[in-house]
Amino acid sequence: MEIKKELMHGKGYAVISIENMDIFKKLRDAFIEKINTSNAKKDIDSVRKVMAKMSKAEINKLMVDLLKFNNLSEMIINSCPTLIESLCGKQLFIQRRATIIMNVPGEGQPKQWPHYELMSGVSPFTYIIWAPLHDLEENSGVYYVHQKESLELIKKEQAGGLVNGPTVLNMMPNQKPTPLKFGQAIIFNPFVLHGNITFNSKFARVAYSSRFQSYNKPLLQKNSDYLKYYQLN
Amino acid sequence: MTTATVTTDINIGPFRIPSNGQNMIMNNYAQRNNLVIELVIPEPLMSNALATVQWLHEERKLTKVILSSIHQLPVNQDRIDNLLKNMEDVEFHFALEGISGRGKVFLSETIKEAKMFIEAQTIDSTKKNWLSLYEIMIKNKK
Repeated sequence: MEIKKELMHGKGYAVISIENMDIFKKLRDAFIEKINTSNAKKDIDSVRKVMAKMSKAEINKLMVDLLKFNNLSEMIINSCPTLIESLCGKQLFIQRRATIIMNVPGEGQPKQWPHYELMSGVSPFTYIIWAPLHDLEENSGVYYVHQKESLELIKKEQAGGLVNGPTVLNMMPNQKPTPLKFGQAIIFNPFVLHGNITFNSKFARVAYSSRFQSYNKPLLQKNSDYLKYYQLN
Repeated sequence: MTTATVTTDINIGPFRIPSNGQNMIMNNYAQRNNLVIELVIPEPLMSNALATVQWLHEERKLTKVILSSIHQLPVNQDRIDNLLKNMEDVEFHFALEGISGRGKVFLSETIKEAKMFIEAQTIDSTKKNWLSLYEIMIKNKK
């Protein structure tokens, strides 16, 4: 199925191949360069191995430090320009500071509970792109719930005056993350439930995510605090 | 060498931020960016001319000015022109957007971006629920 149709009328998410691997590799190299893991060699697996032993506070500090990676969002957008233009046109609002997400393996580590992106106040016209900076180990990725099922849960919870209530939050067990290789990404709409689960590995998982929408479509609650104007070449 | 923060009207473009909230935002930004605040400038409500800032700049020679958002910059062209002329040498910081720079080009581009956001359509989330937002996506997504 064509990606746009899949995102709107199908599962609500799709695995894609990064179009411009040169930019994508530069993005990964820039991350390695910026990340302050002085006792790691300058390659992604060495950095991940050091991260896997870090405390929650150390990981959090790294994530705050990475807010200075201020051209990350443009690099992400420019690694998939044809797809993004086909979805939103050339005039965009893109996430001002894209996110690098670092997940440490093992029990007791923070996990992203099931949620819809819309909960943050992004517009219904937003798409989210998520990609790991390495091949994913088993169960270390993100699981996605078909939008039909996601929508049924919204209906059920809304009837009870809730959004992202216990029905959704208790979905974490028995989910199967989507496997991805380096050079692949997932794109999804803001009504698709997703989250991650505990995984076992010697390596931390490192991924980025960014959000974008057409400039010509309405915003919801996110504004200049979160988005910036960007025009594709 | 004076770094100042500026509080303004509670209505800041699409945001509604009380002045103590503005101070929290700017103080947090200053702390994260190792900036030491020496002056706190309250601008009057219902004005985005930044006239007090410009008046104080004449005497205090401000080097850095921190605002909560790009939406606190002037909108009227004559006020924009005054700001560009009088404060070209001052480094401006916008805490919510996390951007900074100085000079006419930077300020003009920032004002232009704020205008783009003001001109963009918005959905009033107080009048919607999740299902109606889903319907909007399905009906209108390009």
